[in-house]
Amino acid sequence: MSTLRKAVVVGGNRIPFARANGAYAMTSNLDMLTAALDGLVARFGLQDERLGEVAGGAVLKHSRDFNLTREAVLGSALSPETPAYDLQQACATGLEAILGLSDKIKLGRIDSAIAGGVDSASDAPIVVSEGLRHAVLELNRAKTLQQKLKAVSKLRPKDVTPVAPGTNEPRTGLSMGEHQALTTAQWNISREAQDELALASHRNLAEAYDRGFFDDLVTPYRGVTRDGNMRADTSLEKLASLRTVFGRQLGDRATMTAGNSTPLTDGASAVLLSSEDWAESHDLPILADIVDGEAAAVDFVHGKDGLLMAPVFAVARLLGRLGLTFEDIDYFEIHEAFAGTVLCHLAAWEDEEFCRERLGLDGALGKVDRAKLNVNGSSLAAGHPFAATGGRIVATLAKQLHERGTVDGRPARGLVSVCAAGGLGVAAVLEAR
Amino acid sequence: MSAPARGIETLELAEMPSLSRLYVAAARDAARKLVKKGTARGVLPAARHRVAGVRPDLGKMTEYQSLLGETKRDIAPAGYVHTLAFPAAMSVMGREDFPLPLLGMVHLENRVEYRLPVFYTDLLEVTAWAEGLAGHRAGTRVDLVVEVRHAGNDDVAWRGVSTYLAKGVYLPGLDRPGVNGAREEFRPPLPTALWRLSSETGREYAAVSGDVNPIHLSSISARALGMRRSIAHGMYTASRALAEVGPQKGDAFVWEVKFEAPVFLPARVCVNITDSGDSEGAWERSDFVGWGASSGRRHFVGRVERL
Repeated sequence: MSTLRKAVVVGGNRIPFARANGAYAMTSNLDMLTAALDGLVARFGLQDERLGEVAGGAVLKHSRDFNLTREAVLGSALSPETPAYDLQQACATGLEAILGLSDKIKLGRIDSAIAGGVDSASDAPIVVSEGLRHAVLELNRAKTLQQKLKAVSKLRPKDVTPVAPGTNEPRTGLSMGEHQALTTAQWNISREAQDELALASHRNLAEAYDRGFFDDLVTPYRGVTRDGNMRADTSLEKLASLRTVFGRQLGDRATMTAGNSTPLTDGASAVLLSSEDWAESHDLPILADIVDGEAAAVDFVHGKDGLLMAPVFAVARLLGRLGLTFEDIDYFEIHEAFAGTVLCHLAAWEDEEFCRERLGLDGALGKVDRAKLNVNGSSLAAGHPFAATGGRIVATLAKQLHERGTVDGRPARGLVSVCAAGGLGVAAVLEAR
Repeated sequence: MSAPARGIETLELAEMPSLSRLYVAAARDAARKLVKKGTARGVLPAARHRVAGVRPDLGKMTEYQSLLGETKRDIAPAGYVHTLAFPAAMSVMGREDFPLPLLGMVHLENRVEYRLPVFYTDLLEVTAWAEGLAGHRAGTRVDLVVEVRHAGNDDVAWRGVSTYLAKGVYLPGLDRPGVNGAREEFRPPLPTALWRLSSETGREYAAVSGDVNPIHLSSISARALGMRRSIAHGMYTASRALAEVGPQKGDAFVWEVKFEAPVFLPARVCVNITDSGDSEGAWERSDFVGWGASSGRRHFVGRVERL
């Protein structure tokens, strides 16, 4: 690692996140990703600049958007000679894009890059039924009139009903919320603890907006200036009044509400990464180093671990490799898919037996100081347009680290973790510049 | 092949019988069978039915794999082999001298040993017979045994034992066991999966399996046989559980299931699959159980174990 050059975060940009079927109901993934890129281009004067590479993706993606990121580049003010590629790792798409591009910068294959992510739960692709799809495909293959008639004759009235995408895990049929409800119950996380975390998220996000923290991270779009899901005036009483929506078969042990779960959200984000030389030669700031990252996956299908527990493993392995403990971390950015997800992660890291048996450690990994957790709010307040979340978190953390500067004579350090469908999780460590 | 027992006739069938024709014949004979119920003796036909030259159908196997959520491999899923071979057993049940009425039989249990992989290109021989006729507290039970071999190979590749209950049929000479103790109360574990079964499920499985028993096809046909709504095929639930155990089971395994409360369609079925490993941590078995999401009644329970 010591022979590699550094990859740094120059800055980020996103559009305010909006609840699904709200302000961005009529804008597509391509529209929003292009808007996020253009805002970043404008902020850092990158018009007509040929960047090393742009990578990004969307989780809910139409097949016509096979080259979504390249199309967004072509629609943006960047040089059309900037190459681009799509990637997708469910909710970890944005963070994985950042890590992959950082590695290319560290290796010297590229000097500059933008990692992006976008999702629209409003403009989601509607899928036709398997019956209709097979009939249309067969019709396509048919050569004679007889074959064509045979293909059409296989259609049944029920085949015409379209299928909207859901958040059900393909192998279990349980929605992400139902999965988390089981994990939340297994780790005995209380309703109150989840509501408190949600409240902190809204308050921290609102305070960050109020002090102007997001002025150079967020560009207004379609009349939206702040994240539409944010409720600065919410309270524990209000959160406590909401009915449970997930895990209701658990009876009294059901604790998850719309208040302590993220809503379906529309939005896009982009992060500008580069080598130190590139930033300096373009007279651009350097906010933070991308130090390292780690992906993990859990065997959730038959319940060995909870669906969203992979970051527990990713963080332990990453800190182990870097020789760090929680004491060395000044900011924890743990993606709030659900309040229960974050609290289960914290509980697992504090559990000696779990850390010994499952993480292979001598004892508990440690306790996360709650004063260092999601200090500028996270997904419970901002919302969670799946692939855009990684970019939101990294840009926010990089700016926070840069503002803090040093801690005890060393660069301020931040840890990011994002859980994802399919039992995936990705973690990263950043250091202030 | 094991040597045929003395006095057991082997009937060679020219081709695999059609289940729908067997059901029609069964319906036609229902009245006669009812009459026979009074006179039948507790003896099974001393015959094995054998069909040579059986080959899986790639199209049917593909439809089966799509419906049950099996990855489309070239090796036939254990449940597909069942649909391919079971008509031979049905033809035994449809014999004149079979002592129980075919219509209205309840599938109690199923046990399959999948010993050697069956590819869709393989030429197979299927042998089926009935054994284990015994009294049951609710009627008479019988095992239908089906063995599948690769042509020209004596080793059994796939062996299935399907236990059926003829409800309310009591044959002379068979003991009628009482209810031994109260059944233990079922407490559902946490689910690992949720199945949303539409009212189409019975017709869809009938289409891929050929099992067109009217109790599975529609509410109307089910009511004609005394069910309040159509019910899912037990083998659909067992086969789907098998598919969801996943690739860890390898190509050789035992798969067994007990069917309990029927799954009235449409239904939401909670499923729990729990894996166990050996001392090395390698997969050894998966236990599965399914229950009604709202009723909490157990529909099926079983296991898949390394062979």
